[in-house]
Amino acid sequence: MNAETLSLRLQESFGTLAEITVTGPRRLICKIASDQLKSVVTRLRKEFHFTHLSTISALDLTDRFEILYHFADSELCLTVRTEISRETPEISTITSIIPGAILYERELQDLFGIKIKDIPDNRPLLLPDDWKEGNYPLRKDWTFQMPLETIPGDDHSEK
Amino acid sequence: MKNKITIGPQHPALKEPISLRLTYDGDIITDADLRLGYTHRGLEKLAEGKSYIQNLYLTERICGICSHSHTTAFALGVEQLMGIEPPKRGTAIRTIIAELERIHSHLLWLGVAAHEIGFDSFFMYTWRDREHVLDILESISGNRIHYAINTFGGVRRDIDQDQRSTILEQIAHLQKRTEYYLNLGKTEPTLTARLAGVGKLSKEQAIDLCAVGPTTRASGVAQDIRKDDPSLSYPDVPFEIALSDTCDVLGRVVVRIKELISSYTIIEYLLKNLPDGEIRVKAPRKVPEGEVISRYEAPRGENIHYIKSNGTDKPERLKVRAPTLANYPATVEMLKNVFIADVPLIFAAIDPCVCCAERVIELVDSHTGRPEIITMSQLRTEANNYYRKKNIRNKEYLWPW
Repeated sequence: MNAETLSLRLQESFGTLAEITVTGPRRLICKIASDQLKSVVTRLRKEFHFTHLSTISALDLTDRFEILYHFADSELCLTVRTEISRETPEISTITSIIPGAILYERELQDLFGIKIKDIPDNRPLLLPDDWKEGNYPLRKDWTFQMPLETIPGDDHSEK
Repeated sequence: MKNKITIGPQHPALKEPISLRLTYDGDIITDADLRLGYTHRGLEKLAEGKSYIQNLYLTERICGICSHSHTTAFALGVEQLMGIEPPKRGTAIRTIIAELERIHSHLLWLGVAAHEIGFDSFFMYTWRDREHVLDILESISGNRIHYAINTFGGVRRDIDQDQRSTILEQIAHLQKRTEYYLNLGKTEPTLTARLAGVGKLSKEQAIDLCAVGPTTRASGVAQDIRKDDPSLSYPDVPFEIALSDTCDVLGRVVVRIKELISSYTIIEYLLKNLPDGEIRVKAPRKVPEGEVISRYEAPRGENIHYIKSNGTDKPERLKVRAPTLANYPATVEMLKNVFIADVPLIFAAIDPCVCCAERVIELVDSHTGRPEIITMSQLRTEANNYYRKKNIRNKEYLWPW
């Protein structure tokens, strides 16, 4: 079925819980509140057969985080969007419904500092073991200054 | 398993490390764990500070073997944001390069899998065939690996009549070679016996763990972005996706050989029906605001790029999920309850984008909890010795062709 028909069926089924928009020939966006995440994902999986989660992206809009779950089936791509606050960034896990989401959620915890509730595996995914706490590289306010290159043994007081 | 302590492998410069931590009880693995992050280069953060055209070259360097998949996915996404469409000839050339990349990646993988089971002559044959493909790619783009053939609005180099006839000749030669490999399984029962039943991943597990690419197609899941979300010239070309239902490494070998054959037919079709015209259109420098999801079938599976633009000439956010990351949870599942001797083959069967890398494997004895480090090359030698002593001609497996 094409994107328009599916968007009408989804809107009918979810009612006020979700806002469905069609953004391209095979692309749909479904905007929900963050506490509805688990129930929406369960229904998408059981009733609409969106079993494949491609990835989870996160955006840092300066006053809040926006998390996108990219689902796909054999015909189109559905993105579930939800927003969480920046002061207490928390969202629940979906690994009980989709076990393959574990690495993507660990990446969110690592690089953005978003806390995922009830995650089965809490370890950081990508950053090194001696990374300082509280440093979240993909946030917009985290910048990195390359240290000035110096030649060892040179007398730098002249510069 | 004799206790050996090895102080880390010597890594030749271009290979990527990944650490596997296996808990074993005698000969059987009871638990597996993966440590990632050794080649994390902070690409997504870097992309936010570079312009789009610089990012085109940055995304190409995410990987050496699937470099064209990353640039094409990125270029397709940005072209959608810009609202431009490349001409038919440019798209056809992009597709030809994409299929050539698939061929050389699968030939490389066949060689690596053969090397993992100790079948070195097969390894030499497939890598020699791969040289034909790399010569074709060099004649088209000037490079054997990072082709730099994509740009926003089309491609940068054209294919002329001489190149066309040379490519068609080479593809016919490769087709004969691949049919020889196909019949190898029927005449060489030890090959089938060694590959079958190893690394089982059932269809339900493949769907639950969101596996992609030939790993999941070998478990009977019909997922191929070339058919599900077609872009480039794939809607115009008739081809079949490769499926197998044996759910093990033998299925993955068969799926990749079938994909090789279908890639030859796609390239022949496109070269014989190459549309005339321009190869690129002009692209604006600043990209209007918007966001796009771009998916592409790389040789290893589904490659997804999410790009958000904010109206300037630098992207707001670039998120890349390469196919091997999606296959890691499935690999961890496949490594449970297998013999230690099967570990190199299972790990190589998902076609990790690290090819013949030396990975450090940490084996933890489940009774004492004591860890020891062992290199992949040692594990491979011991695995081959184990199977040499074991009589595997008793297994009743058939080459599924």
